[in-house]
Amino acid sequence: MSDTLEHRSAEPAELSADQLLDAYRRMRTIRAFEDRVHEEFATGDIPGFVHLYAGEEASAVGICMHLDDGDTIASTHRGHGHCIAKGVDPKPMMAEIFGRRTGTCHGKGGSMHIADLSKGMLGANGIVGAGAPLACGRALAAKLAGNGEVCVVFFGDGASNQGTTLEALNLASVWQLPVIFVAENNGYAETTASSWSVAADNIADRADGFGMPGVIVDGFDFFAVWEVAREAVTRARRGDGPTLMEVKLTRYYGHFEGDQQTYRGDEVERARRDFDCLKWFRTRVTTNGMLDAAALDTIDAEAAALIDDAVAEARSAPLPGREDLETDVYATY
Amino acid sequence: MGSSAVGIVANPLAGRDVRRLVAQASVFPNSEKAKMIQRLLAALGAVGVTDAFVSTDVGGISAAVLRSLGPDPAAGRPEWPTVHFVELERYSSTAADTAELVGAMMGAGVGAIVCLGGDGTARAVAASCGDTPLLALSTGTNNVFPEVREATVAGLAAGLVAQGAVDATTVLERDARLEVIAHSRVETALVDVCLTRAASRGARALWDVGGLTELACVFARPDAIGLSSIPGLLCPVPRGAGHGVVLRLVPPRSAPAVVRAPIAPGLVVEVGVASWEHLHRGRPHMMGTGGGVVALDGEREIELDASERVQVRFCTDGPVRIDPSATLAEAAQRRLLCTLPAGAYGPGLPPSNDTP
Ligand SMILES: Cc1ncc(C[n+]2csc(CCOP(=O)(O)OP(=O)(O)O)c2C)c(N)n1
Ligand SMILES: [Mg+2]
Repeated sequence: MSDTLEHRSAEPAELSADQLLDAYRRMRTIRAFEDRVHEEFATGDIPGFVHLYAGEEASAVGICMHLDDGDTIASTHRGHGHCIAKGVDPKPMMAEIFGRRTGTCHGKGGSMHIADLSKGMLGANGIVGAGAPLACGRALAAKLAGNGEVCVVFFGDGASNQGTTLEALNLASVWQLPVIFVAENNGYAETTASSWSVAADNIADRADGFGMPGVIVDGFDFFAVWEVAREAVTRARRGDGPTLMEVKLTRYYGHFEGDQQTYRGDEVERARRDFDCLKWFRTRVTTNGMLDAAALDTIDAEAAALIDDAVAEARSAPLPGREDLETDVYATY
Repeated sequence: MGSSAVGIVANPLAGRDVRRLVAQASVFPNSEKAKMIQRLLAALGAVGVTDAFVSTDVGGISAAVLRSLGPDPAAGRPEWPTVHFVELERYSSTAADTAELVGAMMGAGVGAIVCLGGDGTARAVAASCGDTPLLALSTGTNNVFPEVREATVAGLAAGLVAQGAVDATTVLERDARLEVIAHSRVETALVDVCLTRAASRGARALWDVGGLTELACVFARPDAIGLSSIPGLLCPVPRGAGHGVVLRLVPPRSAPAVVRAPIAPGLVVEVGVASWEHLHRGRPHMMGTGGGVVALDGEREIELDASERVQVRFCTDGPVRIDPSATLAEAAQRRLLCTLPAGAYGPGLPPSNDTP
């Protein structure tokens, strides 16, 4: 009788020291990248818009730590963090944002269209709510191929109200697709507070209507996101279908660079001081002896140096030329 | 003499944690909590409570209660007590909100407090409500301390207790609790304290029993859900026994005793028990070495340093709990909710003119 019972592992599935260092490096690299883009944007040398992910790092990294290159993610207009967490090289990303030929997409996409299929990054996306249907398509392909791959779609609280997202939640549940829906609720869609625009107490509550589990996670706590994502990814890989995770967090910068942010109070200041995901992570792993502070300091320095190099290389790289006009397009004339 | 005021505290956060994913824990939306408050108010009004102090939140519960007061909330509803919304300067969405709200209600002189939430909510309320009688209602299926009970009936009981209409010695019970002294903080658990080898608080809830090494319980019922079901099924300790119980847990393979315990809704797992003993007052139990996290009432709360140990003490000064069954039994005996012809108190009622 006893062997019919669910038997959980005797050892708690925990992160190794190498995995912890890797997680910290990804989060620190995102922060350094975004802080620097914030500065560089002010120089006027970056074309188009940028939407920065600083403050939300624990979400992308806590989730992507469970994914391999075969697994895929669909991202948003606020996609730099998702890219770095999924393993996309920050140097070509920086070049892409500067519109250079050495960029991830040869300088033709910019911030909102960074994609790297070799890393399973299906693309940032300027269309709010476009990611979820794409994720269903990719997950359907994985399911038909039976390869155990999963697809994660990140979307915002604003996107959670789009018909596309709601249709995709339904489809994923009907077809039991290996998708993890990650609603990154940072409290605002541009300047509109989610408390005004989301007709539910929590985005996760909507999961009930689609017949899937809905869970709320503290997006400042890497460990909380990591644990919940582990269960959601395992469930998807097992063939048990989709999960909706609502990750509550705060974006540190404006909606886009240049946003005056007159619609919010001191919440960013408080979040930076009291909940910052990098500080929280550092405190936890150093007080319990999992890592020593020096190893983290080294990563801080390496991330800073990497971003310095990325900016220097991007600035000195060529812009796309006339000859690039007819490459990377479906039809040439 | 009692008070004619009752406090109602609802936790907007309870009920959406990872247990919806790893177990089949129920989902309890805030709209349902708002309806429970309305049912409580109706019952409080029916037994003559004049004032209700209701917590406010940013999760939409108090907003729904406000809407239910109609177009002129200040005028209130005649069949309800006057509703006073207790507001905070700032909401942190942590247990600190609960403590502050309860403090304000105590300041207003409430004679009983009803709380809606899980074990965590009850713990936060119990830690700050002193000797004020407490009735904890469960919002969900995952709790040991709060009761699953219809709010209307709970409201009648709380109203009668607040007004001193029933005998406190028969309807109130002083619960025991566990005091946990760690490093720099002192915490309370109403049901259980356990040590896990988990690296962090993570998603707070505890569902992986593989990492558990020690468990202490205030009481252990055989029909409990959660960690206290482990001793509950092996070495039960009734509420009010005057002692608790401590267990050392090991992997089932190497354990002298293996218990199949319902540690969360939908999760019946094998847990290995190496030994157990009673936990007595005045004889603290030391837990831990080598790090880990201490969970209080099933939620990972205290992250330990590698060298830190915590002290777990059995204390008899827990919250004063309202027993709704006993309260209403006494109400029936005293006919507190009945109107009868004068002198007609014997069996075989009613002796009025419409009996044949
Ligand atoms: C279909 C569509 N509608 C409107 C916009 C304009 N727009 C860009 S970002 C944004 C807000 C998105 O908010 P949210 O989904 O919460 O993501 P966040 O910016 O907070 O990360 C809007 C409305 C758009 N890009 N696409
Ligand atoms: Mg948003």
